[in-house]
Formats: sequence, C-alpha cells, structure tokens
Amino acid sequence: MTAYILRRLLQMVPVVLGITLIVFVLVRVSGDPVALLLPEDAEQYQIDALREALGLDQPITTQYLIYMRDLLRGDLGTSIRYSGQDALPIVLERLPATLQLTFAALLVAVVISFPLGIIAAVYRNRWPDVSATSFAVLGQAMPNFWLGIMMILLFAVILGWLPVSGRSGLASFILPAITLGTSLAALLTRLMRSSLLEVLNQDYVRTATAKGLQRRLVLLKHAVRNALLSYVTVLGLQVATLMAGAVVTEQVFAWPGIGLLAIQAINSRDMAVIQGVVIVAALIVMSANLLVDLLYALIDPRISYS
Amino acid sequence: MTTRHPLVRTLAAALLGALLLGFASAEREIVIAQGVDVTGFDPHGHHTTAVEAVHVNLFDYLIFRNADGDLEPALAVAWEPIAEDAWRFELREGVVWHDGAPFTGEDVKFTLERVASDSSLQPFDSYRQIREVEVVGPHEIIIHTHGPEPLMLNRISRLSSGIVPKHVVEEIGWEGFDEAPIGTGPYRFVEWRRDDRIILEAFDDHWRGRPAFDRVVHRTIPEDSTRVAELITGGVHIAPNVPPQDVERVLASGAVAVEQQPTTRIMLLIMNTHEDAITGDPRIREAIELAIDNQLLVDAVMGGLGVPTRARLSPGISGSPMELFGTYNYDPERAVELIREAGYEPSDITIKVEGPAGRYPLDVEQAEVIALMLQQIGVNTEMEVLEWSAFQSRIWNADNITHFALMGLANSMFDNWFSMRAIQCEAAYRNRVHWCNERFDELMALAETEVDLDKRTEYLHEATYLVVEERPWIPLFQIEVLVGVSTDVDWQPRQDELLWMFAAQPVD
Repeated sequence: MTAYILRRLLQMVPVVLGITLIVFVLVRVSGDPVALLLPEDAEQYQIDALREALGLDQPITTQYLIYMRDLLRGDLGTSIRYSGQDALPIVLERLPATLQLTFAALLVAVVISFPLGIIAAVYRNRWPDVSATSFAVLGQAMPNFWLGIMMILLFAVILGWLPVSGRSGLASFILPAITLGTSLAALLTRLMRSSLLEVLNQDYVRTATAKGLQRRLVLLKHAVRNALLSYVTVLGLQVATLMAGAVVTEQVFAWPGIGLLAIQAINSRDMAVIQGVVIVAALIVMSANLLVDLLYALIDPRISYS
Repeated sequence: MTTRHPLVRTLAAALLGALLLGFASAEREIVIAQGVDVTGFDPHGHHTTAVEAVHVNLFDYLIFRNADGDLEPALAVAWEPIAEDAWRFELREGVVWHDGAPFTGEDVKFTLERVASDSSLQPFDSYRQIREVEVVGPHEIIIHTHGPEPLMLNRISRLSSGIVPKHVVEEIGWEGFDEAPIGTGPYRFVEWRRDDRIILEAFDDHWRGRPAFDRVVHRTIPEDSTRVAELITGGVHIAPNVPPQDVERVLASGAVAVEQQPTTRIMLLIMNTHEDAITGDPRIREAIELAIDNQLLVDAVMGGLGVPTRARLSPGISGSPMELFGTYNYDPERAVELIREAGYEPSDITIKVEGPAGRYPLDVEQAEVIALMLQQIGVNTEMEVLEWSAFQSRIWNADNITHFALMGLANSMFDNWFSMRAIQCEAAYRNRVHWCNERFDELMALAETEVDLDKRTEYLHEATYLVVEERPWIPLFQIEVLVGVSTDVDWQPRQDELLWMFAAQPVD
C-alpha cells in the first residue's frame, strides 16, 4: 500500500513539470503584463525599464530556466500585480477559502444526490423518480453563473435571508455552496439512480430477496454498497470540475479564494501567480484522484494495492 | 407560570448586557465596494485610480485637490516658486504619523527623491523632473527641478503623491510597508485580506480632525450585479460603476441614490495618419469625424452618460480651450463630399475599426456603433475588437493601427499639456499616429517650461487647435460613470474618482 502511494506521488512530478511548461508558454504568448501596468500613453523607455525590472527582457527559454531553478527551491517567483510579493504565500493564503467552499459544495452534492438517487431508483418511473430526474436535468442545465445571480436575487435581495456576497460567517457559505454544488448534485443523482438500477437487477440481489431478507436491508447492505463504486469514482473526478466551477462561483460571490485570485491574476497577466494557482490546483486534483483510488479498496474488498 | 431558574436569569442578564454593550460600542462604519483590489500600499507601486482611491485615505499629499478641483494646502501650508527651477514649500507643523512619530521635511525628501530616481517605478514619468529635494529646516523644503517646471503643483497633487514615513520604510523595508503601511491620512491601516476587504479605522490625531466614520471597509466585489445587490440590501454604502441598466432597480430600493460622476477620461479615435493609409489623407480623417454623431453615440450606447467633445479635455484641466468641450461636428453630407474630393466614392473604401474589449465601459458597442455610422455614409467597414491585453500586444504596442483605434485616455495630471504630450513627433505615439507637426512640437516645448501661466495657456490653446484641425486623433466624448451612494451617507463623487472618505458624513 505504502509503495503504491509513493509510486503515485512520484508520478505527480512529471505531470506538474509538464503543466508548468504549458502554462508558462501560454501566459507569455497571450499578452504583455507591462502594457497592463502602465497607462496607455506611457513612453517607451518606461516600458523598457519595467520590462527589465520584471525580467521579461530575457529570451523565453532563459526565463523558463530561471523559473525552473527557482521552482525547485520552492520559489514560485514574485507577483507583478501585488508589487513584488512572493507568489506562493499569496496562493496559499487563498487556499482555505476555496477548499472550504469546495468541501461545502461537495457536501451539498452528496446530501442531495445520495437519497434522491436511491429514491429515484426504488420508485422507478413513478412520480418521485420523475421529480428527481427533472431536478437532475434542470440542475445540470443551469450555468452556475446564472444560478448564483438568481439565488442572490431571491434569497439575499428579495427575501433578505442570507448575505449577498463575501466570506464572513457560516451564513455566507450557503448560497455559494449550493450554487457550486447543484450541478454536481444533479449529475450524481442520475448516476446513483442508474447504477443502483443496474445492481438491483443482479442475481445476488434477487438471491438475497429470495432468502427472505428485509427489502431495506437488501437495498442498503447489498445494492447501495455496490452502486457506490461508480458514485465515488465520479465524485473524486468531479473535484476538478468543482475547482473549475469555483472560479465562476467565487467571482459572482466575491469569495476570496484561488478562483477569484486566478481571474484577477489572468486579467493582469500576473504570471507567477497564475502559475502558482495552476500548480496548486493540479496538485489538489491529483491528490483527490489518489484518494479515490485508495477509497476503492475500502469499498470493494476485491481491490487491493498490496 | 414564572420561571426563576438561575440559568434563565443568568442567560437573560448576559443577553441584556450584550445588547447594552452593543449599543455602547456602536461603531459608525462605511463600506465601499470596488471591482478590483489594491495591489499593495506602496504609493509608487501602482499607477491606477482604483488603488489611489483607497490610498488617499491613508496617505496625505503635500497639496490636495478638493472636490471642486482647486488645490488646497495639505502637508504643505504655503508654497512659492523661488527660481525658474526651484519651489519652496512650508510644511505643516504638528502633523504625526499613524505610529505617533512627527512628520518632517526628511520624509518628503525620502519620498519624492525615490520616485524621481527609480525608472522602474510606475509613476516615475510624472516625477522625473525633480532633481533634488533640499531640506532647509524640519518644516521647510525646496524642490529643485531639472528645468523650469510649470506643472510642479499638479505633479505633487495627483495619484501616487502620498508622502511616506522615512523612519518606517528604513526599518521594515518596502515589502514590510506593503503589509503594514503608515501614513498621516485621516484613516489608519488595520487589515488587508486580499481580494476581499481592506479595513481602516479613524486616526484620532489626524491634523484635519477626526473623520466622521470610525471604520472604513473597502470591499472587492468584481461582479457588477453582485455589487448592485449589495448596494440595494445595504451591505455596501458606496459603489462606483453602477451599470446604467441597473439604475432603475437601484433607485427603486429607495435606499440608494445614483450620482453621475464626470471623469477626465475621453474616448477618442487614434488615427493612423501615415501616407500609405487612406486615413493619411486629412480629408478622409475629417470625413470620419463628420460621419460620427457624438451625441447619438453617447445616448444610444452610454445611456446618455457622457459629454461630446472635440478635444481631449474636460472641465478642470488647465490650459484647455473649453469652447471645444460640449460640442461636436456632425455633417454626413459634407463627409461624403470630402471623400469625393479626396478622389474616392464612399463605397470604394473600406475603413477598419479597431479597439479593445472590456477595457472601457461598453467599448465593443461603441466600436460597433461607430462602424455603423460610417456605413451610413456608404463607407465599408471592417472590425477587429480584441481582449485588452491581446489588443495591446497585437495592435497598440505593435504600432499596427490600420486606420484608427478606439481608446479612452484619462488625465490624472489635470493638465492639457499632459493630454497632448504623447502625439509630439518623437513621443510615445510616434509610430501609432505617424503625425508630426513642427509648430505643434514647438508650442508643446514652450508650454513645457513656461512658468507664466497665461502665456502657457496661449501656447496650449494654439496647440490644441492644431490637433483639432489636423486630427491625429478624433475625440468623441467624456466618460461619465454612475456611483451608487446609500441615503445613509452624505458624500459626493469626485472627478478624479478618489474615494475620499474624510468628506463622508453619516445621515442620522
């Protein structure tokens, strides 16, 4: 098991290196941060001086080598937008806000989809199923940008129950978490329903029922547990989608996480911060995937990493 | 039944106590929301109005522009030119920094000489004229310039002019200062949570007196609709840049007033006057000006928020021939005639409209309507609108303007020489406009060093008219923005867009 985890951790290294190269090049070909920092009618000597101060006058290969050398020392470079401050602490200080939001959204998704998916499968083609499936279609069809604005309008502006934006206290979590979690909840509801339906048709379920076990016991102990495997897989893979969704959700709710940081950094071509955000996000997604693989062993005793 | 359980009584007493304490410590707080966060607290580390809008509450200038645009004493109480290249300033006595240390001329020397000597600092261009700051006494300084400097007072009363404490920066460095800034302004720094909020609290020993609000919270809310929702629900008291389409909704709440705020930013078309381009012909440039109905552009695109102008100037900009403001030339028939005089039929020519997307309010829509107006006189048009950074690198900095580019230029110096400096023969726009007029350069050179303000104004007026006649750029209109202000607060927006909270008063 330990060897497996170590191997997986080692595999992350080339992936991260590849990502840094792609992001490094993309950020540099897509625009010039110096032009964004200076006024429209800045003189050329000023542009040159600032470019030199930021090290952008060097050839791109030299810039990359310097960047990699610093990266190996744990130095992500300095932020252009936050005049000369280290990028790593800027990214890390924003991480808790995003992790909390992502976790809250995951919770929302599980709390909604788990029972809803089971109910839909058990009452197949009857009204609870139709309602749950309708929710699933609607939830996936609504862009979370739009959903967020609508929720603000209803619950904060018209009803006045919840704060509009910002991150202060538990109440401020509710709207962004639901906004971010809804589409995942919809996806997982459908998934739970279909995998449970599949399992319910298996011979061992029929056998368990024939043995005279209670219906509730058959469902929870035999069927749901087996349906969980695909549920957990998708849940883990969706962490990446949630992180991407957090970018939009954080923008709408002025939530000071790495998604908002990413947008502001991209708008000002703050290279070191963009790279920092991408590296950190990549590490989170890869760790989530690793965690899912480890969870398999717990859910399904047939899977073993030893 | 009455409950006299000790726990209930204790709880009741605690609740009452908490309530009383709450009333006793009721702080007057004002919350402001902007779309972007500050980039730090080094006054020389930025060149952005939105950042200065926050800084101005922490740091004082030597001279401050009041809401009417007039200069008034701040850290300097008196000033006079004592030679062609020297100004003497008498500094205010009894001013203390937020850490309690006294403010002296050494702080001014430290601040100004730094920004005047380091060309990698963003505001450097506006201060490089300063040669040396001589400290004559603790409260008297002389600023020596490289040559005659008529704009001295404008330079030290604009964004990035905040004076910083020498003793603090020397002790903790600029990085430390960014985390814990100290100024002499009416509010002192408490906390900065990046992209979330900046918390400031009233400075009791401020020389103007204690400000009316105990706390100022600057929030960063990038999304327009969220900012508007906060305004309506009372979560935010002041929010610049209310989208015109939301005004009705905001006003309907009854809790917010929407103020119109003129800015110094002028939208204009930067022309390529190179002889290889069709816009190299002055008649074609004039035809373009005459084809555009500036007022219609303002009404149709900007919801009426703007004032047409024929030059890059607005009220309060020194050296401006104001008769060119509030007016425009629109004559589509004459435009067609001019194109024919130049030897073309309108349908023979294709004009390319270029511009950025998302940089200025409704910039894409502006470019589209301008293209439509040109089509109205029979000219064919092509459009290329790019995201700001891509526009910068592919068109603007690459000197790749085909015919003209839509831009919006602000004037933080509040001076007409500053407006026109970039279109001199060898200046920043050399390869963009390809326009070079010797008389214009001569007038600009004279104005740059002329300390007799009447003479200087004469030079600048003549130079402005040369630009109006030859059209290296065609100004369109002055941008006005909408600022939402809660009815609980008495505060007026300023033309320089600073969020100067010392002027804010609570409405009881």
